This record gives sequence, structure tokens and C-alpha cells, in this order.
Amino acid sequence: MLSDDGLHDIENESWNAYGQFTYISNWKLAFPAAYTNLNGSINSLLPTAERSFTGTATLYLGARLWSGAEAYLVPEVISELPLSGLKGLGGAIQNFELQKGGTETPQLYRSRAFLKQTFGFGGKSVKTESGPMQLGTTYDSRRLVLIAGNFSVLDFFDKNAFDIDPRQGFLSMGFLTYAAYDFASDARGYSYGGVAELYWDDWAVRFGRVTPPKNPNQLPVDFRLFKYYGDQMELEHNHKVRGQDGTVRVLAYRNHEDIGRFSDAIAVWEADPAKNATTCPGFNYGSDNASAPDLCWVRKPNVKVGIGMFAQQSITPDIGVFSRAMYSDGKTEVDAYTSTDRSASVGLLGKGSKWSRPRDVAGVGFNAGWISKIHAEYLSLGGIDGFIGEGAIKAAAESTVDTFYSVNVMKSFWLTGDYQHILNPGFNADRGPVNIFSLRIHGEF
Amino acid sequence: MASSKRLLLVLIAWPRLAMAQQTAQGFAVERFYPSAPGGGWFVMDEMNIGGGLGGAISLTGGYARNPFAPVVSNEAFVDVAMAVTYNRSRVYLDLPMPVVANGSSGAGPSLNIATSPDSVADSHVGFDMRLLGKPGSSFRLGTGAQLIIPSGSRADYVTDGRYGGMFRLLPAGDIGRFSYAGQLGLYVRPAEGLLVPGSPDGNEVLFGLAAGRRFPSRSGWDTVVGPEFFGEASVHSASDGHTGFEGLLSTRLERTGDRPHLRFKIGIGHGIVEHFGAPEWRVLASLELVGSRL
Repeated sequence: MLSDDGLHDIENESWNAYGQFTYISNWKLAFPAAYTNLNGSINSLLPTAERSFTGTATLYLGARLWSGAEAYLVPEVISELPLSGLKGLGGAIQNFELQKGGTETPQLYRSRAFLKQTFGFGGKSVKTESGPMQLGTTYDSRRLVLIAGNFSVLDFFDKNAFDIDPRQGFLSMGFLTYAAYDFASDARGYSYGGVAELYWDDWAVRFGRVTPPKNPNQLPVDFRLFKYYGDQMELEHNHKVRGQDGTVRVLAYRNHEDIGRFSDAIAVWEADPAKNATTCPGFNYGSDNASAPDLCWVRKPNVKVGIGMFAQQSITPDIGVFSRAMYSDGKTEVDAYTSTDRSASVGLLGKGSKWSRPRDVAGVGFNAGWISKIHAEYLSLGGIDGFIGEGAIKAAAESTVDTFYSVNVMKSFWLTGDYQHILNPGFNADRGPVNIFSLRIHGEF
Repeated sequence: MASSKRLLLVLIAWPRLAMAQQTAQGFAVERFYPSAPGGGWFVMDEMNIGGGLGGAISLTGGYARNPFAPVVSNEAFVDVAMAVTYNRSRVYLDLPMPVVANGSSGAGPSLNIATSPDSVADSHVGFDMRLLGKPGSSFRLGTGAQLIIPSGSRADYVTDGRYGGMFRLLPAGDIGRFSYAGQLGLYVRPAEGLLVPGSPDGNEVLFGLAAGRRFPSRSGWDTVVGPEFFGEASVHSASDGHTGFEGLLSTRLERTGDRPHLRFKIGIGHGIVEHFGAPEWRVLASLELVGSRL
């Protein structure tokens, strides 16, 4: 706004401020289910019709401190009501804005506060546009970037396809990142730690270490970064095919967290059935199934690993395709993201230039997720994890088709209609399919 | 339409829902209300607002010992604030983030950065305007208003859980090498009966005075040293001794002029009348980046 009046140099910013608000409402229709919450297990997606919503407002503040140094602060407010208490779905959670532990009462919190220092090593000059958490500036194509503080891992790793703001794109969480990428974070999805990125012309490599939660999927964080941590490394290459931009990324992660292994929980319970889900001595998810194993008995420092690949390719300046797939070891419980152990997705995104609506965005995507054999065995015995577990399971791939159209209204507002069709919710072929219709209102400045 | 109605209802009901969900115990103990970025002093404001479009950001950290002993024995916070100025006016936003709040009584808060890593306490949105005088003149008078937006948990003693407002008169001036600033105002806090026996409840009168001497140097960095005294008195129970009053000795190192410049501030203070937020002692440090005026 200020740059339009000549009061702000948007190409070489010393500060900037952006904001957004987004309201998403989901309507889940009733769906068929052979059973729900068997024997006291509590993590079924309820088969009745339900409504869910999120309302968020975010302020993005950035400032240049000294040469190469940028500071960002992002306060945010959220109010939400998830489907079924955010239970019963893996990577197919229908709204990526949903947070664990969120309430209908608006909560103000600090989502990000970090420092970024760039050291240039020459190469070409790369102009970077001003945006949320990005000062308009020029970088060297060969540079080292160090980030420290509080941020989302997804701010730097596995960035959005075609840099489209997720608040204008797919609603399903399966398209936000790999559903099987259990990146260490607090209950809201934010982390504390550091990232180092090395850019060398068309290549980039980045490494990050961040804090996990003290207990799985909870807000308190364990700051002992040399004892409990989430490490990730990503290799990226940008290219052009027939003059159109494309990107390929490989990401690997290794977490060392206080989490339970499914095989250990089963073994402890089989040895002593009194060590079940209703007699937990410490942190647990509150299952009422006295005939089921529980991870509460076996949490200890454990390692979780995964590797994935992402590719995106513009077909025309306004249409592009993307795909990503990840394999995680599936031996341990979800600590921070979704219950999915293996995931794959593909999608098509486009802007409406061809029908004279250049700021409209449309997309269709397919996402599939699987759980490991041992994970399925644990669930079949009545066990639960942070999101799924309904007393029994006929293990199958959980899949989502998500299609949306975002209409741009008055330059700064978008109205989105979205439809999602979910097969085998919670990786359980005994339930579903589920149909969810959504409406999103998004505004930004 | 049902969605928008629901959103509106949630927004209107926010403070009531916040109250309903929090217990009657706990209130905002902190009585250090920092000045807007660029204000100069820790609490008072030098009202040197002028020129074209400008701004400032600040990062302030502080620790208070026994602000409400034994319930709250230790309290530390980090404030991030940003201001935009234009001509005589300034708008600003202050986001206080509690780092530690705990007590020795066992009944108080046990907040730390690990248990509440992203907590934001009551935020302040403010507007100030210089009414009389000019930047650098011997007398300036400004006025300011703030909206206090509740956030955080009352059980952590970082919020009253209710909206509030502040209205202040802000005199200030520079006479040779000496500077002074003051405040007289009202903090509108909706009363809800006695929160803690004998505690201030409801509206409070704010008062304060700061004075300092400037020591310029050839390097272009000036040092200003001087005391700040500030406090608050409950409107309905001031005669009962429900007044907190503390003094702060502060030093700031700053570049002056219209170009972007840094300001470093440190302060150490002592509660003169230790009451509900005026601590036994306090330390503060602040870093400001004041932008150029176009």
C-alpha cells in the first residue's frame, strides 16, 4: 500500500508488514461405518454429520537489522472447532489450519520470531519479491543463509508447490507437505531451533535441527536440543523444461524423541495385560479400552526416520503439476504431525489467466497414505495414537481427492469452494467414504 | 451466513468466554507499561514525534523480583513493539511475551518458556499525538490512548482476562542538556469485585516522572542518564494504601537525528512502595531501532 504512494521502497525494504485473515468452514456429511469407538477406544471419526471451522488472523512483521540480517515476528490468532475432536483421520485431515489443542475461544500466540543472516558468495543477482516473512531485496545466487529462532519447519523445508500460499490452495493437510513427514514441532506446528541453507546457483542444500514436544502432540516443548531433536536435510535443484520452471527436492529426516514403539507396546501388554490403555502411569491419550495395549507404557528415547521426494513442473506460466512421496519407518508413534507412515500425492494447480481471471486459483489433487504393518497390528488390538485408533481396523490406504476453486474478489480477497472425498478414513476400510464440502474466505494486505 | 454470524458471535463473546474459562484467581500483576518504540524512556515518553513517515521497533527484556510475593516471586518477559509515526501522530503495537512467572507459595503460576513457548500476554495497541510544542522544545504536551487486548492465562498472572483502556497526558521537554517527561492518566480496568483480599480492583490512576541529563560525545552517540518514577493507585481504594510506586535508574546510549539510529537502554529499579506489581527490584534492557523520517 505504501509503495503505491511512493512512501516505501518495495524492492529494497528495510521493513515490511503484511497481514491475513482466513475463515474456513467444513461440512462433513454422514457416512457409513461398520463400528465407531469399539471397546472404549476413542479415536474414531464420528459417522454423523458435523461442522468444523477455523478462523485465523496473522500479522507478518519484518525488519532489516544490519547488512544481510533480517528479523521476523509473526503474531497470530486462531479459533477453531475440529471434526470429532481432531480424531479419526491421518493425512486426510480436511483443513490444514487445524491445530492440536485449539479451542473456539480465540487464542493469541507468537507463531514465529526468528533471525535470518545471509552471507553472499557472488554469482548472479537474484531479486526476491517482498512478501510475508520476506523483505524485498536482492541476494547473491551463491549464498549461505542461517536462521535461528522460532519458526515453522515448512517455512524452509518442502515449501509450497509453486509458492502458492496454502491459504489460497488445497485445504487438505495431505497437500501441505508429505503426510508421512513427522517433523518435530509443538502442538500448533511451530518449532524452535536453527536452519542452515546453502544456495549455489540452481542447487540448494539445507539442514535444520528443531525442538520436539515434551509429550507427543502437546504444546510444551523440550529445549534440550542435544538430547531430543528433529533433524532434517533437503537437497533441491531448480531447472527449466522448455522454458518453464521446475524443481526437484529430496528430503530426509531423523528424529530423536521421547516416543513409543508399537512393537514395544504390544510386547509389554502381551506379557502383562494389566499394562493396558486404562492403567497408564503417565501421559496418555485417555483411551477407555482396558483390553488394548498403549504407548504410554513404552515411551523412551527412540529414533524415527523418513525419506521423501518432491517434484513440481510448470507446464505453462499458469499451470503446473506437482508430486511428492515419503517413506517413514513406521515403527514409532506420531510425535507431531499425522499418523501416516507412508504417503504419496499428486496435484494440478492453475491460475485463471485463460479465462481472464488471472488471480483466481484452481486445483485438483490426490493424496494417499498408509500405515506400517506393526502400526496396523497395534491398532487392530485396540491401541490408539494421537489421532487414530477405534478398537479395530481393516488396514487400507487412506486417500483423498481434493478439488477447489478460489475466486479473487476486490484484489485482496479470495472466496474458495472446496470438495474432498476421503476413502478409508483412519486407514480403515471398514469405514467411509467421507464427503466434505468447504468454504473459505481469505483476505490479505 | 451462519458461518459469518458464528464468527461475529465468537469475536464479541471472546472476553466473556475467556473469563468463563479462567478461574477467578489471577490477574495481570505486571505494572511496567513500556513506552512506545521511539519514546525514549522506559515508561515515560519524550513526545519527540514529528517529521514525515517514520517508525521504530523495539525489543525489551525485563525481570522483576517479588512483584506479588509470595504468589509471584519471579517474572521475566520480552516485549516486542513497533510504531509508525507521521507528523504529530504515532500508532503502535506492543506484544509482551512472558518467559518466566513463578512463585514460592505453591498457589501461583508456574509458567516458563518450555511449558508455554508461544504465550503472548495482554497486547497493547496505542495511539499518541503531540498536541503542543515541537521536537526538542522546552515543553511539549501529548496525549495517548491504548487498547489492552487480553491474552494468556489468568492462572499465570499475566492477564486480567478483560479488555481495558489507558488514557494519558504526556508532558515532556528538553532544557539545555536536561530532559524530562511525565505521565498522568487513567487505566480503565473493569472491576469484578475483590480478586485478592486487599488488592487494587478496577480503575487505576497512572502517574510518573522522569528526568535525565544528556552527555553528548564526538562519536555522535549521546548518553542520557536519569531516574524514572512511576506508579499506579487504585481509584476506589487509594486511601487504603493500594498504590504501587517504583523508581528506575536508566541509562540510554543513542544516536540522534533524523537518520535511522539505534538506542540501547538499561535500567535497574526498586519498589518504593512494593504493592501488586511494584517489585522488590527490577532490571530492564532494551534495544530500539528508530527509522528515518521521509
